[in-house]
Amino acid sequence: MANILQSFQKLLKLLNLKKEEEIPFSDLFVRFQNILKQNNAAMELIADMGSKMGGDFVFDKKYLIDSVEELERILRSSAYDLNFMTKNKYLEIYEVIERFSKELKMELQGKMVFRETKKIYKLTEVEDGMEDMIGHKAYNLSRIINLPDINVPDGFVVTIRGFREYLAYNNLFEKINSFIQTCQEQEKTAEHVSHAIRLMVLGGEIPPDLRRDILQAATKICKGNHQEAYFSVRSSAVGEDGELSFAGLHDSFLNVPMDELLSAFKKVLASLYNTESLEYRRQMNLFHMEMAMPVLYQLMIPSRVAGVLYTLDPNKPEGSESVLSGSWGLGKVVVEGESTADTFRVSRMPPYPVVDQAIQEKQWMHVPMERGPAKPVPKSRRNTPCLTPQEAALIVRTGLILERYFKRPMDIEWSLDDKGRLWILQARPIKLSGKRKRKGQIIERAIKGHRILLKDRGIIAYRGVGAGPVFLVNSSDDLSKFPTGAVLVSRYATPWLAKVISQASAIVTDIGTITGHMATVAREFRVPTIVGTEVATQVLVPNKVVTVDAERNVIYEGYIEELLHHQFLEEPQFEITPEFQLLRRLLRKISPLYLTDPQAPNFTPKGCRTYHDIMRFMHEKAFETLVQIGSDPRSFLRRGGKRLRTDIPLDLLIIDIGGGVAEKTPGETYITPDQITSVPMKAIWEGLSSPETWNIEPIPVDFKSLMSSLTRTQSEEIMGNNLPGVNLAIIGSDYVNLSMPLGYHFTAVESSIGSTPENNYISFRFAGGVTEITRRSRRAVLLMKLLEQANFKVQINGDLVTARAIDLTEEQLIDDLRLIGKLIGFTRQLDVMLKSDTDIDRYFEKFLNQVKRTNINQPIEKRRDNNEKDNSLYS
Amino acid sequence: MRKTTVCILDDEPIVGDRLKPELEDEGYIVEVFIDSKSALERLDEKCFDVFITDLKMEGVNGMGFLERVKEKCPKSEVIMITGYGTLESAREALIKGACDFITKPFRIGDIRAALKKAEKRVKQRR
Repeated sequence: MANILQSFQKLLKLLNLKKEEEIPFSDLFVRFQNILKQNNAAMELIADMGSKMGGDFVFDKKYLIDSVEELERILRSSAYDLNFMTKNKYLEIYEVIERFSKELKMELQGKMVFRETKKIYKLTEVEDGMEDMIGHKAYNLSRIINLPDINVPDGFVVTIRGFREYLAYNNLFEKINSFIQTCQEQEKTAEHVSHAIRLMVLGGEIPPDLRRDILQAATKICKGNHQEAYFSVRSSAVGEDGELSFAGLHDSFLNVPMDELLSAFKKVLASLYNTESLEYRRQMNLFHMEMAMPVLYQLMIPSRVAGVLYTLDPNKPEGSESVLSGSWGLGKVVVEGESTADTFRVSRMPPYPVVDQAIQEKQWMHVPMERGPAKPVPKSRRNTPCLTPQEAALIVRTGLILERYFKRPMDIEWSLDDKGRLWILQARPIKLSGKRKRKGQIIERAIKGHRILLKDRGIIAYRGVGAGPVFLVNSSDDLSKFPTGAVLVSRYATPWLAKVISQASAIVTDIGTITGHMATVAREFRVPTIVGTEVATQVLVPNKVVTVDAERNVIYEGYIEELLHHQFLEEPQFEITPEFQLLRRLLRKISPLYLTDPQAPNFTPKGCRTYHDIMRFMHEKAFETLVQIGSDPRSFLRRGGKRLRTDIPLDLLIIDIGGGVAEKTPGETYITPDQITSVPMKAIWEGLSSPETWNIEPIPVDFKSLMSSLTRTQSEEIMGNNLPGVNLAIIGSDYVNLSMPLGYHFTAVESSIGSTPENNYISFRFAGGVTEITRRSRRAVLLMKLLEQANFKVQINGDLVTARAIDLTEEQLIDDLRLIGKLIGFTRQLDVMLKSDTDIDRYFEKFLNQVKRTNINQPIEKRRDNNEKDNSLYS
Repeated sequence: MRKTTVCILDDEPIVGDRLKPELEDEGYIVEVFIDSKSALERLDEKCFDVFITDLKMEGVNGMGFLERVKEKCPKSEVIMITGYGTLESAREALIKGACDFITKPFRIGDIRAALKKAEKRVKQRR
C-alpha cells in the first residue's frame, strides 16, 4: 500500500513538474518584450557613451559611474528575464556580468585592467590604450598600420612584460635600482652608472621561453624566408616619442639578420641606461617613473631612398609648408646626419607642389640588407635629386593624413622601396613652442577675409578643425575619386563613407546622428565632423575650399591657416584628459560587438567579451526560445497559436496574446486574414498582400514563382541552422511583433498603439543578404531613403537597417505599417538588382511612384511632392 | 572695454580644465575653483561678473554658494550646473536667482550660449 502511495506521489510530482515546465505564452512574451526594451535601452546608453568621445561634451566621472551602473542594472534585469523564459538555462550569465562589473569598477577606481598582457604583440594586434605596455614608438606605428592605404613594415613588439622578465630572470632589479639611486643623488655619476648597468644587462641571459617567442614571431613575419630577411630592432621605451621625446637617446639597430635578433634585444635593453638617457632623466626629474624598454622588431624595407618629413616647419610654424629631407639608401644618414641630404619645401595644400629645393652632393649611403659602414654613392647619382615632385607630393600627402590623425604636426621617418611604395618607419609628434593666440582674436581677424557659410547647423560628432576643398559624395562610386585632404560632404551619414573617412580633413552631412555608425568611425579616425546640418549639400560648393571649425560649429569660406594651427597648440588636448581616457578604457570593455555569429562555437556566455556581447547573446537566446516554441506545432497549438490560411502561399504562424483575432468556432487550427482584428497586423497585411506589392517587384518574374521563393524561408543563412525558419506574428489588438526570415533576409517589425500618439511606435529591422557588401549597402541605403521619406528615423550598420517611428497619430501609424508591408515584398532580391548607385535613385522613384499610383499609401503622397515621370517598372 | 570675469566652481577638476581655455579663447577672464571653501574666500575679495557653479559638492553646495553670491554680489549672474534628473533643484535655483541652469554632461556650446546671455544681463545692469 505504502508502495502504491509512493508511486502515486511520484507520479503526481512528475505531473506537477510537467505542469511547471509549461510557462504560459503570455508570461513568456512579457519577458521577451522586457528583454527587447532593455536591449534598446542598453544600445542607446552605449551609443550615448560613445558620442561623448567626440570631445564636444564635458562630462565628469560621475557620469561614467552612473552610466556603467545603469548598464549593469539593465543587464541583470535582462538576465533575470532570460532565465525565466528558459527555466534557468543561462545562469552562467550572472557570473559573467559580475566578473565584468568588477573589472569596470577597478577601472573606475583608476586601476588599469589588462585582461591579458602578453610578452609579444604583433603590430596589427595592438589595441587602443596599450601605449604603456609597448612604448609610444611601437604604439604610434600600431595606430598607423590600421589606417587604410598606409604601409608600415610588418613587425612585433616585446612588451614591458618581456623586459621585466629579463631583469627578473637575471636578478637585475635591485642591482640596477641601487645604481640608479646613486645617479639620482650624485651629479656626474651618470657615465659610471651607465657603464656598470649596461655591462650587467648585456651579460644577462634571455629567459628560454622569451627567446623562443621572439624567434617564433620573427619567423612568422618573414614568412619562411629566413636567409634573406633582415630586421630593424628599435627601442620603444615607455615615454619615448610620447609626451617626452628622448629622441636619439636609446639605440636602434638596422639590417639585423635572424641569428642576431637575440643579441640585438639585449643591446637595445642596455641602451635604456645610456649615459645621455640617464642624464636626461636626472635633469627632467623622471626617475620616479618606471624605466622600461619594450623592443620593436620590424622587417627591413629594400629602401631606395629614405628620409625625414616634418609636416610643419617647426622654425616657421605659421607657414604653410612641410619640410622634407632625403637621401639614397637607408634613412640612417639623414636621421643621424652622417651625410648631406636633399631638402624640399613642399606646400601643405593639394596637389602638394615643391616650393623650393636644395639639392646637395650625397656622398654616402647605407645599403639595405647589407652590413657594415656607409658606402660611397655612385658618382652618377650624387647630384641628382633623390625625389621626383610626385614622390615628394605622395610623402607629404601621407604625412598630412598622420598629422590629422594625431592632431599634431609630425616628425616622420619614411622610405620609398625599389617599387616606389612608400613606407612609414616612425612617426612622432613635433612639440611646437610659442604662445597660443586667443581663438576669439583669430576668428575676429579671420571673419574679415572669410565669409561664414554655416553656423550652428547640426551637431558636432567629433571636435577639431579641418580644411580643404569640398567633395560632394552622392554615391559610393564617387568615393574612388575622393581626394585626400578634402572635406567630405554628404547628404546621409551612411556607413559606406567609412572607406574614405581617414583621408578626409573634415566631414559634414545633412542628415545623421552623433550616435550613428558613421560618427563612430569618424571618431575612431579622429576626423572633425558635423552631422545633421540639413543644408550642407546645398550650401557648400564642390571644389571650393572651406574651413570646418567643429569646435564652435562654424564653416568658413576659404582656408584659415591660423585656425588650423590653433588646434595644434591646444592644451590639454581633450583626448588626454583622465576622464576621456577612462571613458575610452571603459568603452573598450562595453561597446565592441564580437559575438556576431550565433552559429560560432564561442556564442556562449563565456565567449562574451563586452557588455554589448552579453546583451546580444541574451537578445538572441530570448528570441530563439520564443521562435522554438512557435515552431513546434503541438506546443504552438497548445499555447493557442494558429496558422494563417490565405491565397498567398505564405506560411505565417499567428499567436494571439489578446484581441488580435476575432472569435471563431472553437477547435479550428487556422484563421483567415479577415479574422485579424489586430489593428497594426491588419495594416501590415494589407500592404503585404496587395497585388501592387508584387507589381513593384523590380524584377519581372511571374507571380507564382515569386511567391514560392518568398515563402521559402532560408533562415539558416541568417539566423543559424538551429532556428527553424518560421514566419511568426505575435499579435494583440493594438500590438504586433512580426518576424520573417524571408528569402535570404530577415525582417522584424514591432509596433504598438498606445493611449496617446507619443506612445505609438513602429520599429523595423532588416538584415541579411547573400551578395557582396557593396550591394547590400546599396540596398540598405535605398531602404533608408524610402523609410526616411516616411519620416522614420533610420540607422544602418553594414547591411542591418533599423528604423523607428514614434509620435504618430493612429492614422499615420497604419499608413506607415502598410508601407512596411509593401517594403517587405519589394526589398526581396533588391540587392541582386542594385548594380550601381544610380539604381538606388531609380528604384527609389519607382517605388514611390508605384505606391503613389496604387494610392494605398497616403502618407507618401502627403509628404512628398513627386513628379510622376516614370510609372512603368519594367522600362 | 572691460573684460567679463567668470568664476567656475566644480569639484570635478575636468570641468574647469576644459572650460577655462575655451572661455579664455572667447576673451573672458576665468578663475577656477574645485572646492567651495576657497571659492567663498575668493568671493569675499572679488565679485566676478558671472559665476558658474556645480550644484552637488562637499561642504557648501551650489545652492548655498548661490545664496552667498546673491547676498554679496547682487549684480552678478549665476549659472548652475546640475546632474541629470534634478529638475526640482534646478527650479529652486531659478527661484533663488540663478539666471540659467545646465545639465551634465553638457556641450561646450551650451555654456558659451548661457554665458553670453548672462553677460548681456550683467552689462545692461552696469
